Amino acid sequence: MTESKREERAILVKMEDVHLAFGQTQVLKGIDLEVRKGDAVSIIGPSGSGKSTILRCINGLVTPQRGSITVGQTAVHELKSEAERIPLRKRIGIVFQQYNLFPHLSVLENIVIAPVRIQGVGRPEAERHARELLARVRLSDKEHAYPGELSGGQQQRVAIARALAMRPELVLFDEVTSALDPETVGEVLAVIRELVADGLTSILVTHEMRFAEEISDEVLFTEGGRIVERGSPASLFHNSSNPRIHSFINGLGSGAKTRESAL
Amino acid sequence: MLNILTFSRVPSLASSTVLPVLGGIAVAGLLWSFFEPESAATLLVWTPYLARGFAMNILISICAIALGSLVGLILGALELSPRALIRFPALVYVQIFRNAPHLVLIFATTYIFPFEILVAGLRIPFPDWIKATIGLAIPASAHIAEIVRGAVQSIPTAQWEAAAGMGFSRSQTLRWIILPQCIKRVLPPWMNLYASISMGTALASLVGVNELLHAATDASTAVQRTDFTVAVYLTVLVWFFVYCYPVARFTQNLERRFAVR
Amino acid sequence: MLDSILAGFVTYTKSLGFNFGFLTSVYERTIWIDGISMTLILIAVTIPVSLVGGGLLAAALTSGRKYLSVPARVFVELTRNTPTLVQLMCAFLVVNMLISKALGGAQYNPFSPFFWVVAVVGLHIAAFHAEALRAGIESVPSATLEAARAIGFNRLQILWFVEFPLALRAALPAIVNNLVNLAKLTTVGSAIAVGEVTYASIMIWSQRDNVIELMIVILLLFSLINLLIARTGRWLENKLKVPGLGI
Repeated sequence: MTESKREERAILVKMEDVHLAFGQTQVLKGIDLEVRKGDAVSIIGPSGSGKSTILRCINGLVTPQRGSITVGQTAVHELKSEAERIPLRKRIGIVFQQYNLFPHLSVLENIVIAPVRIQGVGRPEAERHARELLARVRLSDKEHAYPGELSGGQQQRVAIARALAMRPELVLFDEVTSALDPETVGEVLAVIRELVADGLTSILVTHEMRFAEEISDEVLFTEGGRIVERGSPASLFHNSSNPRIHSFINGLGSGAKTRESAL
Repeated sequence: MLNILTFSRVPSLASSTVLPVLGGIAVAGLLWSFFEPESAATLLVWTPYLARGFAMNILISICAIALGSLVGLILGALELSPRALIRFPALVYVQIFRNAPHLVLIFATTYIFPFEILVAGLRIPFPDWIKATIGLAIPASAHIAEIVRGAVQSIPTAQWEAAAGMGFSRSQTLRWIILPQCIKRVLPPWMNLYASISMGTALASLVGVNELLHAATDASTAVQRTDFTVAVYLTVLVWFFVYCYPVARFTQNLERRFAVR
Repeated sequence: MLDSILAGFVTYTKSLGFNFGFLTSVYERTIWIDGISMTLILIAVTIPVSLVGGGLLAAALTSGRKYLSVPARVFVELTRNTPTLVQLMCAFLVVNMLISKALGGAQYNPFSPFFWVVAVVGLHIAAFHAEALRAGIESVPSATLEAARAIGFNRLQILWFVEFPLALRAALPAIVNNLVNLAKLTTVGSAIAVGEVTYASIMIWSQRDNVIELMIVILLLFSLINLLIARTGRWLENKLKVPGLGI
């Protein structure tokens, strides 16, 4: 949410008519999406509506059967092999629901392994940056701890720092608070809120409605593999004529409220 | 084990892909020997001799596992004894002979035991193959003692109490609750041990027992032809494989079936 | 000094009914001590061979590429289900003989019996390591692998930085057990005249008829070696232990 007008910023991610099936199951049935530099775009919708799959298409973890995806100048749908997708993944950070930290590496090692091993950044420089990021996620005292010793919220903040360590153009957040205890949700959301305020381009799949409303430039509502409605948070949450959205938001409303109170 | 969910990402190479390839190798080996028709014919001539040798391997392996199981069962019980004076010697025996190379024990029994025993004035011959059997039965008994001890100790005492609470008598508990679980735990390692002993029987050739490897050496020395030497040793390899591989696969299936948690 | 200590030992054990007389003969003593050192050298050289081989085989088995995994699987099954001694004979009497022939005579063949024992025993145990490592690699959660892919690791980097470190910790007990078997298996070297401790002992006891005495020493030697291997394994397990990682 930078000062410049949204329409003036360059388009970073563009998906057009993306279709994807796992075996017989159609997961995405024509997704169109645009994310501009500095945007925070939230994807909401019932489970199984393909939200997480959209994120995995963008960094090439899954490959759609039809449609085009571009990230900056890269045509993701044209990358044929795992090796060709690696340069793309270096530019995109992803934070998972289950954190997926490397359990045998300390917090600091988890953060520096990608810059050191993949980007060839010098170790002192990588560690300096990692400590900066740990301070940002307020875990400076945990650099020598192992993931198994941390709470879910702490692990998720390490995972965010790990994603940021590669200085990505874009960060994907995949239901990053869904697996957390209600008490630790707040600390993770606070970190993301700051990052977005600093101008990080991000796409978030989330069930935290209040949070999505607060930080997003645009909110997409998905159902059954399609984006059924999109718009500014205000229009989607308050002026939508779609009864499905109402019932979805109200159904989650109570849960979202109790979580928000933990902030 | 990793205390996390297991995902099988890599499709396990089922026997459907492995067996044909192995079969292919065996057939290729045989075909190769058929290119030298004379060599194949010679191999055919020697086959009964080799088969007699292999029968000796099977005989030794069965006797050794039987003897080893019997002694191992007793040792395992002794290891669980509350009396240190009984437990300690059993533990020492198991520790020493589990760590002992099979070959060394076969040499030991062959050289230490006499070639005949005097029983009540009767001279009973003590052939080398029985000595080799004992040499293999000794480490087998040590391994079985450990298997038995591990199996019994793995059954929580709470199960005895639970069964008693349900009205089972002590012998009914043993019959219906404890033993079935012990057998599940004992059977796979016992079969692995049997496969290992079967392969160990080849060591008996080094003390002059006329088993398969020994027979192959006899044949190769008698024929004195390079192509035949290659063929006869490959035959030994294939025969052992054909005998041991099904045991290993069966054990794997058992392990998988028993691994219900 | 040494001679008088040995003589004292020989006299003392003689009073217990043991015949350790060979220790006073410099010739036999040398054979025997050389045998013990040869056993230790064999074990020390074969262990790294088995570990490297096991790692490569496990990598091939889990590569997901048929042209790597099928040959590796065939090798593993073949070597696990045939006697080591038969493999050694096939290697030494067949392969080595064919190499000698191809090179125009045994004197031009660079491969010694020592080489064949290290190669056969090392690769035999490597097959067992590979199975243990494969199980460990396959139990790495797919979510962890997805994270590694998302960071931009390629297949080999994932194997080296994520899968192997995790698999090694899970497989370590099995690997230590395999190394104990490796130590015992080096005795098959005596079959092709590698002068390790069994071979040296046979030479001595066929002269002196003191099988039981030498046998006790051999058993103690292997108990000691295997205790050392097991201890080292446990030390390594503790060293590699990661707080909070339930293995």
